[in-house]
Amino acid sequence: MQNVKTYSQTNIEVGQFSQLPLRQKYAIADLLYVAYGLLIVALVLVSYILGMFDLLPHDPQQIHMDMLLAPPASNGYLLGTDFMGRDILSRLIMGIQAYFLPGLLAISIALTGGVVLGILAGYCDRKTETMITYFTNLVDSFPRLVLILLVIAAFKPDIYYIMVVMGITGVPAVATAIANKIRYLAHKNFIEAAVALGLRTRVIIFKHILWYNCRALLIIQATLGMGEAILLETSLSYLGFGVQEPMPSWGNMVQSGANYFLQGNFWPSTAPALAILFTILGFNLLGDGLNNILEDRRGR
Amino acid sequence: MTSIPLKAIAFALLRELALALLLLLGVSFVVFAILYAAPGDQFSVLLEGQLPSEEVRAGIRAAMGVAQTWYGQYFSWLLNVLNGNFGTSVRTGQPVAGVLLNASLNTLYLTLGSMFVTLAVAVPIALYSSVRGHLAVISWPLTMLGYLFSALPVFWLGYIAIYISIHGFNFFPLSSSSQTPGQHDWLYTLVPVLVLGLGSGTISEVIRNLREEMSRVMADDYIRTARAKGASVWRHAFKEGLLLPVTEIVASKIPFLLGGAVIVEQIFNWPGMGRMAWQAAQDRDFPVIMGIVLAAAAFVRLGSLIQRMIHIAVNPQGARD
Repeated sequence: MQNVKTYSQTNIEVGQFSQLPLRQKYAIADLLYVAYGLLIVALVLVSYILGMFDLLPHDPQQIHMDMLLAPPASNGYLLGTDFMGRDILSRLIMGIQAYFLPGLLAISIALTGGVVLGILAGYCDRKTETMITYFTNLVDSFPRLVLILLVIAAFKPDIYYIMVVMGITGVPAVATAIANKIRYLAHKNFIEAAVALGLRTRVIIFKHILWYNCRALLIIQATLGMGEAILLETSLSYLGFGVQEPMPSWGNMVQSGANYFLQGNFWPSTAPALAILFTILGFNLLGDGLNNILEDRRGR
Repeated sequence: MTSIPLKAIAFALLRELALALLLLLGVSFVVFAILYAAPGDQFSVLLEGQLPSEEVRAGIRAAMGVAQTWYGQYFSWLLNVLNGNFGTSVRTGQPVAGVLLNASLNTLYLTLGSMFVTLAVAVPIALYSSVRGHLAVISWPLTMLGYLFSALPVFWLGYIAIYISIHGFNFFPLSSSSQTPGQHDWLYTLVPVLVLGLGSGTISEVIRNLREEMSRVMADDYIRTARAKGASVWRHAFKEGLLLPVTEIVASKIPFLLGGAVIVEQIFNWPGMGRMAWQAAQDRDFPVIMGIVLAAAAFVRLGSLIQRMIHIAVNPQGARD
């Protein structure tokens, strides 16, 4: 026990960071990326809660035959109406219900599976590592959308089951990142010291590797995973496999506005497409910005 | 410079080949397991609904020699697949293998073309920003543009392309019902290829990876030496800074492109695997979707096998371990 105390008092890692200035100078672009990403995350979160409690400007499914295809900012309809006179803003906000919780499910499965396999691959013997490499390669052999179409054909599942499959296909990326990180950390002084001091493997893995050194990595993977989940959900509902009309989803909104788009009425299709664009962009930029700020300086 | 014995290279190649085959075996097992777990009797699906009772069906199965155990069914199914017998489509009654071959060729054209488009856009941007630094005046907007294109929903991009080609160029870019590849007017091919290449979400990743690799190589000692003695930097940096990362990214992005092809083929009515997969998922047409998943996985493994071969050819030293 005394040894453990000594270790935590003399923070061995200090040596590594002491050469860096306390206030690091980050690239402006990375800070902007993160700021924009956080704005988008906040918007999605607020809209999700608004949609959950039905705090919408209009009923998203109410048809107004006198207000077909109204342009934005007309007569109380901030983003206009679609081809059935339904309020686009309300439908966009409701559309977040279609992917938010399923996306979180996919992320948590990908992170949990990835962490377990990553630790096993990075910390155990070669045989385990080979098996895990086989598994990740196997999962990576399937194009995600095609595999999900197979699952849809087999089970006609709802979006949560689809997102379980999505989560499983997300495992390899997380596992590889964690395993690489562990391999990089394994012969660092502080881990060797921890091993030499007789800390339990459990403590080393969960506290010193995962908590102190993989937090950032996991947050980054989660953000990027949310972007992918949104892309997948919108693609599926575009293809007609996800949320069905009249329930709004960004994907089926783009799809149902398509005919009007080709006639020159761009807006009903473009509004949800822009929502997809700026949301996914936000999550991607947040992930990359955080990666540049948190990982690159410590990782190399 | 040490010479690497040919034996080591041959051994490495064989190992890669064996690994690819082993992975495809795993793929077939996963596909079988999913279909086996699905409700209904996928491996004699045409019997379903045509015969009144379970005993009669069991009798027919025994008479036809359908295996009883799951591993028996798996092996007889696998043997059939290896012989090129994927069954017949539930919807059309045609044998899957022939249709699949046609469709996969069409998808191959689409994905190869779009990969070329992606590289044609991404490589110059990556090289420029790796030479000029991350935040050079032009490089930053270019990188931003890459991000934008990656987040763009490809189906919306497809509509824009259709609209522009109808109203700007006065032609309708949906391919006709002709099933044979190579008979389309090249314009009909060009629009879907451009849309998938720009909208598949791979551009920004190609840019990012390539920029990192190229910057790393440019900072290496041997490039500095080449520069100091006045040799062509480009020739020295090409293999490790461009060829290897590009093949690696392309191989790892094949699944993405095949996924994007599902949507693009749907928009443009392209007679490929993706559209077939969509139709099969709608109809629960198990033989077809099964064949497509196997073919798609085979594409992925083939791409990654080629990438490993290039890697070994460029860097035989790596074949040793």
